[in-house]
Amino acid sequence: MSVLPSTRIYEGTRIPYPVPTILDVDPERHRTEDILRVNFGPNHPSTHGVLRLIVDLDGETVAGIRAVIGYLHTGFEKNMEAKSWWKSITYAPRIDYVSFHANELLYVLAIEKLLGIEVPRRATWARMAMAELNRIHSHLVYLGTGALELGAISLFWYCFDDRDGILDLFEMAGGTRMHTRYVQVGGLAEDLPPAFTAEARKFCEAMPKSIDEYEALLSRNAIWLERTKGVALLSADDAIALGQSGPMLRASGVDWDLRKNMPYLFYDKVDFDVPVYPNGDVYDRYRVRLDEMRQSVRIVEQCLDRIDETDGEPWVADDRKVVLPPRHELHTSMESLIHHFKIVTEGFRVPEGEVYVTIESPRGEAGCYLVSDGGPRPWRVKFRAPSFAALQATATVVQDLLVADLIAAAGSLDPVMGDADR
Amino acid sequence: MSETPTYAGVPGLVETREALGETTLVVDPARLVEACSFLRDEHGFNLLSDIAAADYLGWGEPGVAGHVGTADGRDLNVPGAAGLARVPDRKPKRFSVSYHLLRVSDDPARVRVQVWLDDGEPVPTVVRVWPAADWFEREAWDLLGIRVEGHPNLVRILMPEDWEGHPLRKDYPLGGEPVRFSDED
Amino acid sequence: MLWPDRGPGVFEREVEELEDALLLTTVEKAVAWAQSSSVWPDTFGLACCAIEMMSIVSSRYDIARFGMERFSSSPRQADLLIVSGRVTHKMAAPLRQVYDQMLEPKWVIAMGACASSGGMFNNYTILQGVDKIVPVDIHVPGCPPRPEALVEGIVRLHEKIRAGVPPAYEIRGVAE
Repeated sequence: MSVLPSTRIYEGTRIPYPVPTILDVDPERHRTEDILRVNFGPNHPSTHGVLRLIVDLDGETVAGIRAVIGYLHTGFEKNMEAKSWWKSITYAPRIDYVSFHANELLYVLAIEKLLGIEVPRRATWARMAMAELNRIHSHLVYLGTGALELGAISLFWYCFDDRDGILDLFEMAGGTRMHTRYVQVGGLAEDLPPAFTAEARKFCEAMPKSIDEYEALLSRNAIWLERTKGVALLSADDAIALGQSGPMLRASGVDWDLRKNMPYLFYDKVDFDVPVYPNGDVYDRYRVRLDEMRQSVRIVEQCLDRIDETDGEPWVADDRKVVLPPRHELHTSMESLIHHFKIVTEGFRVPEGEVYVTIESPRGEAGCYLVSDGGPRPWRVKFRAPSFAALQATATVVQDLLVADLIAAAGSLDPVMGDADR
Repeated sequence: MSETPTYAGVPGLVETREALGETTLVVDPARLVEACSFLRDEHGFNLLSDIAAADYLGWGEPGVAGHVGTADGRDLNVPGAAGLARVPDRKPKRFSVSYHLLRVSDDPARVRVQVWLDDGEPVPTVVRVWPAADWFEREAWDLLGIRVEGHPNLVRILMPEDWEGHPLRKDYPLGGEPVRFSDED
Repeated sequence: MLWPDRGPGVFEREVEELEDALLLTTVEKAVAWAQSSSVWPDTFGLACCAIEMMSIVSSRYDIARFGMERFSSSPRQADLLIVSGRVTHKMAAPLRQVYDQMLEPKWVIAMGACASSGGMFNNYTILQGVDKIVPVDIHVPGCPPRPEALVEGIVRLHEKIRAGVPPAYEIRGVAE
């Protein structure tokens, strides 16, 4: 147990000092002889994965905390350096395994920026639809597991049932429920199946009713309000100083969404609102994510209209140095055969350069710093993980909390350990 | 679209590069904290998005990825010279540390501050400019061995605490095991 | 038949042969039936496979019909350790600790490619197969395995238990 002679904080903020991510026991407010150090070990019932919290408790109050991560460090970045560009895309979705499509999209956008390749609009609309469905998926997992941890156990089954509906759509398009690897450099791996838009529209009709159910169950529920209002406060300035983004920032009153402020794909062509709530507590983060689900349904419906409009258009770019030629051409064209051979054996080459691409993943700002040396393999891939940044805020938000609120706070940060540890 | 802002007043600025719509400010490591404070206070870059360190050992050398052809351009007579293939420019030192900054405001902008270091050369901490730098700098130390001076808690974060070596360095092997097949012995 | 030692029906035939060879008494059969009907899993979700493991609890794939919906967070009250996800060297020690705390009889399912063999991550940080530190009864392939695949693994485990096959720690140790 580490005790400072006096706890000084950064001026005007609640961020602990000198280490922003470690809350030390303040001897003026807690009796240091009574401190109990408890280990919320890497295997614990909350389903956020392998997060370890070392908590100093004074009775029921959290007096000190530090987070230990690294139990899921998979060495993605080093593995991707050893594989060709095409093969390394398979690694990307397993980083943030709850919003897998967002990670694939991020990595492929970075490669496409370095290549300077133009993606056909049908592919962009499909990618947007998938990204927003993935956002709904991620928020359903958050809601289901978050409610489960706070005692609203039945919500787990409702959320996971809707989630199965989304995974059915992914399976229809990409062949598998999770980690579809549906994005390809230059567009999509395959065209969307003909029944996709009809099934997706059915889902979009049913989803708002489900969200209404969740709101009816929780938003004015006295127990939920008691457990989440005023818990785990984070002010707007502290959130920005701690590098927060996404729902963490929007729940603290900062109107910042990469899809609106620095649009990518075709987000400037669709109509949607960005929910912002002022209080910065667990309840506001819950409201932000719930409202985001509704807005995502709106975006998906608009994307489906555009996908129907672009029916019959190409779904992948035409650049044969990067994209495989269609199979029927291999029988007739010698150049196509050679291109196919080159791409499959050596892989395509990406021009030299460095690039930093960000998207609004369900957890916040996910970024990919990509350095290429002109060869067939990446030189350096670094993923900016929003969960890594969110966990840094743990020490700030848990001040003056009780043990039971600690679970609510950890759930509201919405960390995914694969993302935090990479 | 706002005009390209001028970063000429940044302390310790060595070079400015523009590529692919991104601005990179190469800064002298000794004046890094001054430069970052300047960017935060004068230019409003209030959010530190990422600190990405990279190891350039073996960059542009024969046998390593992109080395094909001549410095002037593609050599069509060399097999495998598809696409753009020229020897990449030498890098000034072995390690680069890039600080990706974001301005969260009505006039959003991004910028990259980059410093170059040799093996063993430390970089000053920016945790007092943006507290978000805490774990990012620990990760740079853990995975690449870049010592951060003045960091209040520079211990390993992703690898176990008793791990030896810095895994993401280019001279550290990928590791793993050879795959055994069931009909081999 | 193309492969006499692989394919549908082979597992069931082998289990039947084992059952005849082991000559279980009625009491042993009853005990085995009881054990297989309420195997309580431990909440050992690590990575992507954990998300698919959570979906077997959901209403579509429902493991409550096997009596298994009670995931136990305390290893002392758990019978089955479903290792779902990639295991790093840092996590190997807690994994073994959790396994040791479980009371016998206990079974282990290595869910997914990463738990079975290290999966696509053949590198410095991932344990190449969880059977290096705990004895594994059933390996379920997939990345991640569909919930139906995991349920099949669980059903095969139930068949093994009812046939009288001892848990893995009695018949084999850990891999090399």
